[in-house]
Amino acid sequence: MKTTWEIAALGLAAALPVVALAQSGSDEVPRLDGHPDLSGTWDNGSGIDFVRADTQGESICIGRCPGSAPAAPPAAPANAGAPAARPPGPDRPRYRAEFQARVAELDANQVQEDPVLRCNPPGVPRMGPPDKIVQRAEQVIFLYDDVSGNFFRIIPTDGRGHRDDVEPGNLGDAVGHWEGDTLVVETVNFNAETWLTDDGSFHTDKLRVVERLSRDADTLTWQATAYDPDVLTEPWQMRPRTARLTDVDIVEAAPCIERSIGHMVDKSSHDNPR
Amino acid sequence: MPSKSLVSLALAAGLSFTLLSASAHHSVSGQFDRDRPVSVTGVITQVEWINPHTYIHLESRDQNGAVTMWQFESAPTAMLRKVGLTKEMLMGGGATVTIDAILARDGTENFGWLLKIQYPDGHFYQLSGDR
Repeated sequence: MKTTWEIAALGLAAALPVVALAQSGSDEVPRLDGHPDLSGTWDNGSGIDFVRADTQGESICIGRCPGSAPAAPPAAPANAGAPAARPPGPDRPRYRAEFQARVAELDANQVQEDPVLRCNPPGVPRMGPPDKIVQRAEQVIFLYDDVSGNFFRIIPTDGRGHRDDVEPGNLGDAVGHWEGDTLVVETVNFNAETWLTDDGSFHTDKLRVVERLSRDADTLTWQATAYDPDVLTEPWQMRPRTARLTDVDIVEAAPCIERSIGHMVDKSSHDNPR
Repeated sequence: MPSKSLVSLALAAGLSFTLLSASAHHSVSGQFDRDRPVSVTGVITQVEWINPHTYIHLESRDQNGAVTMWQFESAPTAMLRKVGLTKEMLMGGGATVTIDAILARDGTENFGWLLKIQYPDGHFYQLSGDR
């Protein structure tokens, strides 16, 4: 039979982990194998971060309901999914002189030329930050819930190099490593079927993309830089985007079946912020 | 920077730059005519829950019982999900609803861009536009 002291000690021991957890606080970044654990579902807006729901009783409005006051500001962080502080460099990729006419032509014919408008994958980096991250000691898995479909990327972080047994693709082949508390993902082996932006920014199959991800409490910061020296005058450093940790999980994407473009009567550009 | 399509939308249609117009996945002005609004009453028979645009089918009957099938294009599923709408909510349980829309510019009959669905109990879903 245990004494009263033994029982008390056992109770205290059982309570200790709870105390430790409570003291860790919500600002603590969980760690896995010595690195920040980026695992979680991250609301980056998926290009529709500006969509705010307004309600009047059971009525729902995308944007503002008739007669409503201006929509409330978005929930914190205010810049979730939106461009953050702009790094040095251009807003859009800068092309060598001999390719600028091609970019302009693609842009002018975006309705016909933009692969995303026909449900093709947006690729990297246009797809933006991952919607969900599953991190393990030896690899990180990025999951995406996109208008064009669900996508995944498996990113080894155990020091191995790029694969040489896969065909070039929309998402390329990625490997990752840690620089301090930042996950650095380098992706190569792309095809030339995707665009960098929605205005004709084509790339070659020599594209290399470096993404940097870091976590601060419940905010993920993602920044990508595209290197394509055959056509770009300089690396294109995208503005960082932030995403907020959410408990609303991603879902199976609805089928993407394009029917609109055949009804277009002019070349009005489509809005594809992603 | 604002998407060029949003700017062109605002300029072409003379609309104020609002989140409502910004919510369109594509350039509405290139496909639908905001100067040709329509209001149709009937029963929603199908909601096609697909991307990049959802489609809502409406069966409308005139005074003589003649049926006209309408098709309305709307926002992508992710956008509807984000504001808390489901396919079932849009269907309205077979009730008679009124849909406000703007007609296709290419002349396709009984086809429009959905602005608002009004249900008989008074609630509504406004999915686009500021009319």
